[in-house]
Amino acid sequence: MKKRILSILLITTMIAVMLTGCGGKKTEPSTGETNSGTDTTTDIAADTTDTNAAAGDDKQIAKKIKILSIWAEDKDNGKLITDLTKRYISDVNPNFEYEFELVSADNLKQKIATLVASDDLPDVFVYESGKPIVDLIEADKLLDVGKALEDLGVADMLDEGAVSLLKTLSGTDELYDLPLGMNVEGFWYNKALFEQADVEIPTTWEDFEAACAKLQAAGIQPLTAGGADKWPVTRLINAYVMRSMGVDAMQKAADGEAKYTDAGYVAAAAKIQDLASKGYFGEGVTTVDQNTAGNMLLSGEAAMFYNGSWFTEALTADTNPAGADGIGFFNIPVVDEAKGTITEYSMNCGNILALDKSKYDEGTAGWLKYMVENIGNEAMTQFGAVKGYKYDVAGELSTYSQIVADELAKVSKASTWFEAAMNSETSTVAQDNVQTLINGDATPQEYMQSIQDAYDGSLE
Amino acid sequence: MKRVLGNKKAIALFVIPALILYTVIVILPVIWSVYYSLYEGSPGLKWEFAGLDNYKRLFKDKNFIAALVVNLKYIAIVMAGQVGLGLGLALFFRFWLKNFKNIIRTLVFFPVVLPTVAVGQLFVKIYEIQPNYGLLNSILSNIGLQKLVQPWIGQASTALGALSAMDIWVAMGFYSVIFYGALLDIPGEIIEAAKIDGCNAVNLFKSILAPLLRPIIITCLVFSFTGTVKMFESALALTKGGPGNATKSLSMYMYNVSFSYGKVGYGSVIAVFIFLLCIAGSGIINRFDKKN
Repeated sequence: MKKRILSILLITTMIAVMLTGCGGKKTEPSTGETNSGTDTTTDIAADTTDTNAAAGDDKQIAKKIKILSIWAEDKDNGKLITDLTKRYISDVNPNFEYEFELVSADNLKQKIATLVASDDLPDVFVYESGKPIVDLIEADKLLDVGKALEDLGVADMLDEGAVSLLKTLSGTDELYDLPLGMNVEGFWYNKALFEQADVEIPTTWEDFEAACAKLQAAGIQPLTAGGADKWPVTRLINAYVMRSMGVDAMQKAADGEAKYTDAGYVAAAAKIQDLASKGYFGEGVTTVDQNTAGNMLLSGEAAMFYNGSWFTEALTADTNPAGADGIGFFNIPVVDEAKGTITEYSMNCGNILALDKSKYDEGTAGWLKYMVENIGNEAMTQFGAVKGYKYDVAGELSTYSQIVADELAKVSKASTWFEAAMNSETSTVAQDNVQTLINGDATPQEYMQSIQDAYDGSLE
Repeated sequence: MKRVLGNKKAIALFVIPALILYTVIVILPVIWSVYYSLYEGSPGLKWEFAGLDNYKRLFKDKNFIAALVVNLKYIAIVMAGQVGLGLGLALFFRFWLKNFKNIIRTLVFFPVVLPTVAVGQLFVKIYEIQPNYGLLNSILSNIGLQKLVQPWIGQASTALGALSAMDIWVAMGFYSVIFYGALLDIPGEIIEAAKIDGCNAVNLFKSILAPLLRPIIITCLVFSFTGTVKMFESALALTKGGPGNATKSLSMYMYNVSFSYGKVGYGSVIAVFIFLLCIAGSGIINRFDKKN
């Protein structure tokens, strides 16, 4: 008898487990709902800006939108978006509701592709600029945000630099996405180590190589890079390409105007391979991830590290062993003054925010207006970060944020990153094979050829 | 009992629920994949009939061939390691191990219960070279073998070996438990008789134990084969398929093709190929069973 009861119990548990396994996904959104329902305004900053009043004369339209994000509600841009949305609900439109869905960054493109296929894009979603967004624009799925903001009279809240960068990335004259960051990339260096080896900030590529040699001679590892994450290395190739061939070189290759196997690109790959073969990155650079690499710079185990301005998050943390002023920044050294100058930066807007064209209506418009009006200030007060919007609060800028702000002010022209214009197949090949390049298992010629092959193959 | 099993309705009652479940979660998806493999693009987006084009592409695809070679090497090394060391450990437990039997058996079995991702992280640390030497490299460096210190998972020449070592370590305990059980089933008298007849250890294994363990060895080989042919999560956790494509398996390539490149049709062809590889592999292993 006992056995029977036990077996029945076990069977029921198994079935229950199976059912919950199947139903797992469906329960997700409801948690988002409860979050929006039980909206306590405790974590919202008390200083509601006066712009609210302007938005307050909107009709309080009942509307529920779905937001798809790669950041959790309490993290980074996820927090920024939810905080502002909660404030919009409490201050402007109590009839507004939202549902927050989280997807991991790795699955973002796949998720969006599925949603596009079933014609069920969320009202608002985080996405990637460059090639991925171009596909959606071509499929006519995205709202012309630029025009929408124009109609709402808040187009001037966007930073012009960010707007032109996003337009370049999507290759359109209209603006189809909103920035969630405004990043410059370049070399971060450890000031103490530079001093120790008596090295000046390099302005030309020759200086840079000389600095590496000098640092190595002083027993300091000159460079560190997250080779395990792959993209940090292709960024270095990109850095050389934009300085030796101009900011639009990668775009030209993607458009078919140039081949990836052209001498200039191969030379860039050769330069980076050369840095690796001289041991400037230390041993086993392909096993180091970007976080570890960053920590090596901070703790004085390596002197230079290529990364974007988002690195300030690690720099401003209390745990930074280099302290509040131990790390400096310099832009990619000049290779050929005629092709690329020191005021040209490799830039990106991070992940971007896009809106579904068919779901956009007056209800969403109210929210959109509020967001665009307030996100600049909110990001500055909460994170001390520039997101690509105008702001008029004097944020408490740390030394590092100030560095970024100063660099942003110098930008004359922007280049995108290595894979920006590549489709996912070409980009995967470019990233996977860069490891064989820096390990010396593939020649620069072979490496660029593999990219060209993937490019040709995916055009078929 | 006989009466129950003689009743066709009773048999149906036992078999049908499992059969339905099996059909729904195994057979249907396979048929579905075959159907997908005749199309190009992703379902819903640019979904066009392509006939056998995807199949033609398969053997011209350098990346596919590379992944296949990696996968086959991995199967060979890991299968031999898991079953061989599992058997070796079981013999060790049965004949040589005198003290601390339970503790040692538990320790050997322990890695089986660890999540793959945790094991991957653990071995990333063991193989580490920068910024600090991991366990392996610091041992090598301390015993004067500085020459052998190298980025184990960071170079194409050693990455697959390092990955295989990890997977052998994880699963050998599992096989040792199975073999140990089988060894306990072999009557002590037979072994004793052999010893009295003057049989040494090698002959004992060759003439007595191996034939008696044959069905278990074959079962274990099939287990190990099906486990290794789907090589995915451990490689992802340890090396992400890198450096380059040195540890990229068929299923990882299939995943990339289907979900990153958006070529679900071609990805399905690779899936079908893996399915056939599975059947062929298990078939070959089972042939050894039928010989006698």
